[in-house]
Amino acid sequence: MIELSRVSAPTAIQDLGRYGYQKFGIPVSGVMDEVSARLANYLVGNPGDAPIIEFVLRGPGVRFHSSAVFAVAGDVEVELNGIPIEPWQSHWAKRGDVLEVGTLRRGVYGYIAFAGGILCEKILGSCSTYPRAKLGKPLTQGDRLKLGYALLTGKEGKRLPEQLIPRYSNKSEIRVILGPQLEHFTEKGVETFLSSAYKITPNSDRMGYRLEGPEIEHSERGADIITDAIPLGAVQVPANGKPIIMLADRQTTGGYAKIGVVARVDVPKVAQTRAGGELRFKAVSVEEAQELLRRRERTLKAVEMFLKEKARAYSIKIGEEDFLAFVEKEE
Amino acid sequence: MPMPLFKPAGDSAVAVIFGDKIDESINKKVHAVANAIEKASPDWLIEVVPTYTSIYVYYDPLKLGYQEVLTAIKPFLSAEPRGEKSRIVEIPTVYGGEFGPDIEFVAQHNGLTVEDVIEIHSKPLYRVYMLGFTPGFAYLGGMDERIATPRLERPRLKVPAGSVGIAGKQTGIYPLESPGGWRLIGRTPLRLFNPEKDPPTLLQPGDHIKFVLITEDDFREIYREEWGEGND
Repeated sequence: MIELSRVSAPTAIQDLGRYGYQKFGIPVSGVMDEVSARLANYLVGNPGDAPIIEFVLRGPGVRFHSSAVFAVAGDVEVELNGIPIEPWQSHWAKRGDVLEVGTLRRGVYGYIAFAGGILCEKILGSCSTYPRAKLGKPLTQGDRLKLGYALLTGKEGKRLPEQLIPRYSNKSEIRVILGPQLEHFTEKGVETFLSSAYKITPNSDRMGYRLEGPEIEHSERGADIITDAIPLGAVQVPANGKPIIMLADRQTTGGYAKIGVVARVDVPKVAQTRAGGELRFKAVSVEEAQELLRRRERTLKAVEMFLKEKARAYSIKIGEEDFLAFVEKEE
Repeated sequence: MPMPLFKPAGDSAVAVIFGDKIDESINKKVHAVANAIEKASPDWLIEVVPTYTSIYVYYDPLKLGYQEVLTAIKPFLSAEPRGEKSRIVEIPTVYGGEFGPDIEFVAQHNGLTVEDVIEIHSKPLYRVYMLGFTPGFAYLGGMDERIATPRLERPRLKVPAGSVGIAGKQTGIYPLESPGGWRLIGRTPLRLFNPEKDPPTLLQPGDHIKFVLITEDDFREIYREEWGEGND
């Protein structure tokens, strides 16, 4: 069992989301940065979808009431019993130890994974917290969480290769698949969207990021559509011409025209860009976006194997470029 | 019915669009096809979200690419709505007073009395076209335009669960306590969303609902049954 000894910022249990209930109006929710969360889980030997702690900007303090193996994901200072330790590595904690996670130097969301995952009572098939509908509660100081059973021996000391640590910047190019309501925009409007820089406003949260920048012109059809569904990463443009990127806690349906949908591989990049950060959009085909996703998944699979010591990693330099190659071990 | 339109909605969903107006027969087709896909539950399917005129089919692109998903969806497009009668769900409602603080405004705005508003609002059978927006929220069709009223200029910070409101030409029920800008005319003690139930929502697409007048005493009694003691 662990206890939250300090909570200084919004902190909650999430998994990869609550699927199958959007038709009842229940948002998917789940982690904002799927890649960081999955990597943290892989570091402690969990499957990628194990329930995990997500924090915004500032990490919590955690007191261990029993031995555990944990890993922190994020560009952040971490201390165990006052001694600095590294994020993106798995560590052993014993009963009585105290973990202190500081403030993220970059990015917005950080994660703490525990071997065995956090035990929670699933609601509608998921442990994701969605306080608006009382599906779980945000964590507060003094909350005690049980961890799932896991063999801890040999799980500590795992390290993510340097090249694979996500590096989030405050200026990103975001790939989008245009549509599905492209006819609600003029050619000029689409051109504006694809050629301008948009700043993330402070009025942004797990539901969506509101952007500031040149107004996107609607066609004579206007900003309103007959209400339809809102996929993850949908870029809605209300009548004021300012785009909103819909994220984990988005409502399931809505009535604003969508100019595009962010490619899934770039959703973590959006989520990890802070208010004031700048996004530029680039159109890709649905096939390209799916190929990017397949590539990402191959990498994540290889990392998972590597951390389970079922694969070896090699650094290779070809010309000026560094590559990381994974080779499966023979049984 | 003509062939629907397919449009990618990102790399993990396809919008299957059956029409461009709110229409009962189009919506029935939407639900028939959505149910057929859901029932077959192919391994590439994540979930379906049927709306007024379209179905968003969420799929796993690691299992099936976009073009292949279109091919896989096509056989389901022939599904037809079954002729069975739709369910009528009665919604016990107290109109006016603290339960519907905007009812006088709605009356005045439309040159009616409060009694007229209650009569006009509680008369029709409203069709549930879809659920969405927030857990258990039903998009209803069939409100009489004589009681249409614009939203509040300043949304309330807290609207109690069960509040019945009007926004423009729409009427609806707030399933959860939330902020909101609808003109509130009444409140039902029924619980529209309960995550412990299967299905978790009282209303289902294709249902018809009928608002039924009750007294404040009835409200309190039903409220206790639905929400338990001391939960307000």
